Amino acid sequence: MKLTVNGVECQVASDWENENLLMVLREHLGLPGTRFSCGIGQCGACVVHVDGAPISSCLIPVADVAGKNILTIEGLADENGTLHPLQQAWIDESVPQCGYCQSGQIMQALALLKETPDPDDSDINRAMNGNLCRCGTYDRIKKSIKRAAVVMQVLD
Amino acid sequence: MVQLNRRKFLFATGWVAGGATLLYTLRNHALAVAPTIIIPDEESGAAWVQIQPDGSCRMFFPRIDMGQNANTGLAQIVAEELNLKVEEIDAVAPNTSDVPPLAVTAGSMSLTAFSRPIATAAATLREHLRERAALKLSQPIAATLDEVGGFRTANNRRVHYADLVDAATTLVEFDESKPAPTLYTFDSKRTKRQVGHSVKPLGIRELVTGAPVYTADIPFDGVLFGRAVLPPVRNASIASLNTSGVSAVKGFIKLVQEGDFVGVVCKTPSAVDAAMAQIDVTWHLQEPLNQNEIDRLVDVDAKMAEGDLEHILQDQAHRIDADWAIDLRFDVQVQTHAAQEPRAAVARFNDKGAKHKLEIWTGNQDPWGMKRFAAMDTGLAEDEVVIYPQRLGGGFGGREHYEVERDAVRLARAVKQTVKVQWTRKDEFTASRSRPASAHRLRIAADEAGNLTDWWHGYVSGHVVLARERLPSWLLSVARLGEDMGVVKGGVSPYNAPHQRVECSDVDLPIDLGVWRSLNGAPAIFAIESAMDELAIQQRLDPVDFKIKQMAEAHPRLQHCLERVRSISAKQALPLGEGYGRGFASGIYEGRCFVAISADVYVDPETEQIKVLHMCCAQDVGMAVNPGQLRAQIESNLVWSIGMALFERFEVADNDIQSSNFDNYAIVRMSDMPSLDIEVIDRSEIAPTGAGETALIAGPPAIANAIRNASGFRPLSLPISFSDIR
Repeated sequence: MKLTVNGVECQVASDWENENLLMVLREHLGLPGTRFSCGIGQCGACVVHVDGAPISSCLIPVADVAGKNILTIEGLADENGTLHPLQQAWIDESVPQCGYCQSGQIMQALALLKETPDPDDSDINRAMNGNLCRCGTYDRIKKSIKRAAVVMQVLD
Repeated sequence: MVQLNRRKFLFATGWVAGGATLLYTLRNHALAVAPTIIIPDEESGAAWVQIQPDGSCRMFFPRIDMGQNANTGLAQIVAEELNLKVEEIDAVAPNTSDVPPLAVTAGSMSLTAFSRPIATAAATLREHLRERAALKLSQPIAATLDEVGGFRTANNRRVHYADLVDAATTLVEFDESKPAPTLYTFDSKRTKRQVGHSVKPLGIRELVTGAPVYTADIPFDGVLFGRAVLPPVRNASIASLNTSGVSAVKGFIKLVQEGDFVGVVCKTPSAVDAAMAQIDVTWHLQEPLNQNEIDRLVDVDAKMAEGDLEHILQDQAHRIDADWAIDLRFDVQVQTHAAQEPRAAVARFNDKGAKHKLEIWTGNQDPWGMKRFAAMDTGLAEDEVVIYPQRLGGGFGGREHYEVERDAVRLARAVKQTVKVQWTRKDEFTASRSRPASAHRLRIAADEAGNLTDWWHGYVSGHVVLARERLPSWLLSVARLGEDMGVVKGGVSPYNAPHQRVECSDVDLPIDLGVWRSLNGAPAIFAIESAMDELAIQQRLDPVDFKIKQMAEAHPRLQHCLERVRSISAKQALPLGEGYGRGFASGIYEGRCFVAISADVYVDPETEQIKVLHMCCAQDVGMAVNPGQLRAQIESNLVWSIGMALFERFEVADNDIQSSNFDNYAIVRMSDMPSLDIEVIDRSEIAPTGAGETALIAGPPAIANAIRNASGFRPLSLPISFSDIR
């Protein structure tokens, strides 16, 4: 079975074909930036993009995404290490506390900005409400999304 | 290379202290079963700072990082003392063999306990280097002035640290007979370059790029996956067990059963899930596990009817028959940690000849405790065990015990291979030692002018620090002769009354209990601040004026917080109309942290919801080492306040834990967020007070008081739901 992850074609060994996408990424393909938290698609920590759409990778059997394009947090910065505007905004606003949910938050925010390049508070609430942060960094996440939106519109 | 440390034992290995943890050996053994409580002093290895031959600075980070970013603050202190930038400090996270034992990371103590030893260490090193610089520059020491990353003469001849240090290792010892070096950090007249600035948390780039920073992220060749069955309560024993389907699971390797410990090891994570699903276990409980039982055990009125409670915290001319203006019962339900990372551990046993026979990677607030417990569990000597501490995806007091580490150790030992264990979300809810339920009876009497005459607060709480299964029973029975330090937190109010009594009982509950952010601080202060608010309303007095007056000038720092939050909250008018309310509350945590909070709420009859619209907070933090990170901690505590006041309820029923995931234990979400206005009150002349738990003591009563203001309903039980409001 093959997947394309962050633009690289990856082979999934047969022992791992019964796993969910999250565990294949983390334990088989060496991409642990996508985190396991609730296991039932209730918290958003494991959000990745499959063919451009955000999805909870803990819920998806890897077999269901064979041949598809997967984007994970490790694929956001460019090859020179320049961070994506969302990642940079997360640093500029000093968002992370424990940090565990932030990969999923950033991937969900990326999906929001693709659909809604200039989101208001209610757009952000709607899009981000499934992404839990026990440390309570929501206020800074909201500010970071708005900050990144400005940068991305300029870059466009 | 020049480094500062307390004893020459570091010499042998450069970084490594080996097994020679001389100073603490005795204390260590005396407390082998308790959390590590060693607090650093000027001589301890906690204050370990090094200037390397290239002039760069290394320090080890003495705290476990779990989001509080205390190490960043400590690095700022080292940078201030050594005239460096914090980004120039190379930070090293020590393992348990690198340095002597360090206290469990808990209790908002990191900056309070470590700031002065760390500053002293770095300043001692600086002054040693100044002596070298004076020689090199042929100047008196007094004419050898500070310069960025080194020293200079009055006419600007410079030496960098690199010019003063060579490859030979020199240990500088803190010499008590010499005058103490000037601590720049604590010099309130100094214009500081590092301390007091909102430096970005060190390691933040790793967190936004998905770098491997948590235990389960570390790659291991050939690692196997395992998990153990967790009982609903730790004192349960297995009543029946059927594992017959396990061996048919594809990828299954081994079933491990040792007494009441049952676990599996498999090739892949999904095989573990499948194998665990094949284990059918029932438990024998020692007492019924349901909400009625919890309510019965903390029933403060029933206990007070029997006579004095177990511990008298304050007793001053107490009168039982005063003319009580306030006589209210407050109840607080069980809450749990629900950290975003389900805890994980990796264990590996090594062959003879290896430096350590057992290696454990784990994110735990008490790595040195883990080393002792693993040694006891396996029969190994303590110096044969090493813990590699990892970042925690949230701690909040819930990660101090040898639990997931035990699972990994026992499974790894059984299969003689490296085993990774990560709890499921359900495991986290089942086995995180939650904050107990408590019930409070609060009676206040006042004279005609409205001044307090009598104060009587009795409360019953489940155990916290001395909860069952936190210590072995032989030690627990001795320890429980005294008060449970977690239960007494927050009990004594800041208000003055000639007649006062505060008493409490700490009891066992049928669930496992432990330390949770602010311990009993938030529940007790919810009761105190709600009762005072109600009395102010009864007296037709402004609650803030009333509270300040009843402190009788005994708490000027708290009074200042209240005055500040009143004026901050006045910047934004409460919306006009039915259902809007504003409430205030304040409190002192650990005698050293001062906070006041306002909350604006809307009680919406149409959606039947209570919405927190706006919160203001003024917090006196002592020296604000990193205002941005202090603000972050306050934000976090305000969010937890909303959860505690309105959402979080840990459910038990039918002899089992019912809360199992985020779909049946609600925590605050993005759409629940109010706007925030926070003021960090910096008192640079006072040591940092810590901020990890403080604002949580005043947030819930501020919200409750706002609901009272909005609706006329006095919330008596947390969490508050719309249906409570009649």
